[in-house]
Amino acid sequence: MLEYLNVYKSFDVPVLSGVSLTVAPGETMAIIGHSGTGKSVLLKTTIGLITPDYGDVRIEGESIFHSNQNTIERIRRKAGYVFQNAALFDSMTVFENVSTGIPEEQLGSLRFREVLKRVAEALELVNLDPRAVLSKLPAELSGGMRKRVGLARAIVGRPEILLYDEPVTGLDPVNAAIVHQLIERLGRELGVTSIVVTHDIEGALLISDHVAMLDAGRIRFVGTPDEFRVSDDVLVRAFLERDAMTISDRVLEVV
Amino acid sequence: MQVELDMGEGRSSEALLPKVGRPLAVRWLGALGRGAEGVARHAGELSLIVWGALTALFTGRVSFRQVVREMYSMGVQSLPIVLLTGILSGVVTSQQGGYQFTGSVPLYVVGSVVVSSIVLELGPVLTAVVFIGRVGARITAELGTMKVSEQIDALESLGRDPVRTLGAPRIIAGTLVLPMLVAFANLIGIAGGMLTAEATLGLGRETFLYGARLFFHAFDIYYSVGKGMVFGFIIPVIAVHMGLRTYGGAEGVGRATTTSVVYMILAVLILDATFPMIFLR
Ligand SMILES: Nc1ncnc2c1ncn2[C@@H]1O[C@H](COP(=O)(O)OP(=O)(O)O)[C@@H](O)[C@H]1O
Ligand SMILES: [Mg+2]
Repeated sequence: MLEYLNVYKSFDVPVLSGVSLTVAPGETMAIIGHSGTGKSVLLKTTIGLITPDYGDVRIEGESIFHSNQNTIERIRRKAGYVFQNAALFDSMTVFENVSTGIPEEQLGSLRFREVLKRVAEALELVNLDPRAVLSKLPAELSGGMRKRVGLARAIVGRPEILLYDEPVTGLDPVNAAIVHQLIERLGRELGVTSIVVTHDIEGALLISDHVAMLDAGRIRFVGTPDEFRVSDDVLVRAFLERDAMTISDRVLEVV
Repeated sequence: MQVELDMGEGRSSEALLPKVGRPLAVRWLGALGRGAEGVARHAGELSLIVWGALTALFTGRVSFRQVVREMYSMGVQSLPIVLLTGILSGVVTSQQGGYQFTGSVPLYVVGSVVVSSIVLELGPVLTAVVFIGRVGARITAELGTMKVSEQIDALESLGRDPVRTLGAPRIIAGTLVLPMLVAFANLIGIAGGMLTAEATLGLGRETFLYGARLFFHAFDIYYSVGKGMVFGFIIPVIAVHMGLRTYGGAEGVGRATTTSVVYMILAVLILDATFPMIFLR
């Protein structure tokens, strides 16, 4: 169980003004909202990358902000984080990047061949050819490939919690579908608890168990995808209709 | 497409308050308070970095390979320029000594002056300043870039403490490498001074060394290398600290790097001024 308890955060201006949200074990929660509403800030508070001004986040009952450094590091190793801009270590190869995703205490006891195998498996899961990318530096990859390497780094440590910040933004439709399927499979088959921040509402409604809408620093709506589709909240409707519009635009372009 | 205009400093809530109408004394007190707050925050964060690096070292959680790699790159990066500044400091002090002492004082005093100026002051301080430019600035820029591109966040999200994984190896490497560089600078500086004295003043090497030994204490070597260790410790501590608190994109990295260089030079000069008060009395 993952709980946000009345989280406040301001940078010059208020960004989060009392966010409370509960994510049940094994469920996939999609978080949507306009850009700049604080979705990334909220996701970062989850594992303490940003400290809120007020409020708390608890993971399986353990507070992220009232624990010592060792507890925090232990909680973080249970979680994988996919950054909006991949955030790959740019002085390291793809192999080194992904292998840092394996917790240090495991790395110490693994042989090189086993590390290589796990890294290659993770890369295959995100539809990258290990032989082609393993020895490349991040600067030699396209934006979409970097994003997927970032995803591989987050899942290679077999986390119990996965936090995705716009995992499909910038991906082509084929790879976006692959990533969506992966998120769904990790949830369904391995019981991973996932939070997916996304702009892709159609995708979000397909893969999530619950959708939360962040607006003006608070959770404006939480419900199942079906509840979301029939909600009469004006902002939810605006989101759905704007999405319908962009879809029809795309159809028009194709025609 | 959304364009975000970063208004920088102007956006702080401070800027929204009316500036007029506040008495001068209040504004001065405010500035003083902010200054003190800044110093206190820096001091607090610096001691956290020192504490983090020390606990990492003593719990054996620092990568030995990283330390060796850092030592190698720090040493190789700095050695040529360290040797050059070392020679030049010898050449300069020797000529200055020759100019000042002709006539009144026996010429072998040039040997004493050159050796003690280099060993006690010029060797450690000039080497530290070169080290700040080559290594300290690089560390701040490197960690600052990692900070603004979320690589530091990524490291933390993987349960790895940036001070332990990035800071500690650089701090340990600096503490070990700078004293060695100081020793090289001292040796080559003395050699440079001796040859210059021979060429310009016709002072024989034996006479030069006689003068050198006359006022030399073994303690001076420890003092010199000890200074190197202290500077080699404090420079990466400040560099790491300034790198990890960088914000504001590429511009922020530039700002953090230049500020960091100023702080590192100030720290070295201030420490250098307190050293004689503690050890040479
Ligand atoms: N480290 C930071 N320092 C200052 N302001 C920040 C920082 N991180 C985010 N913000 C501000 O918080 C707001 C929300 O940002 P973000 O969470 O990235 O939005 P989004 O919902 O698009 O992910 C923005 O106005 C942004 O400028
Ligand atoms: Mg965002």
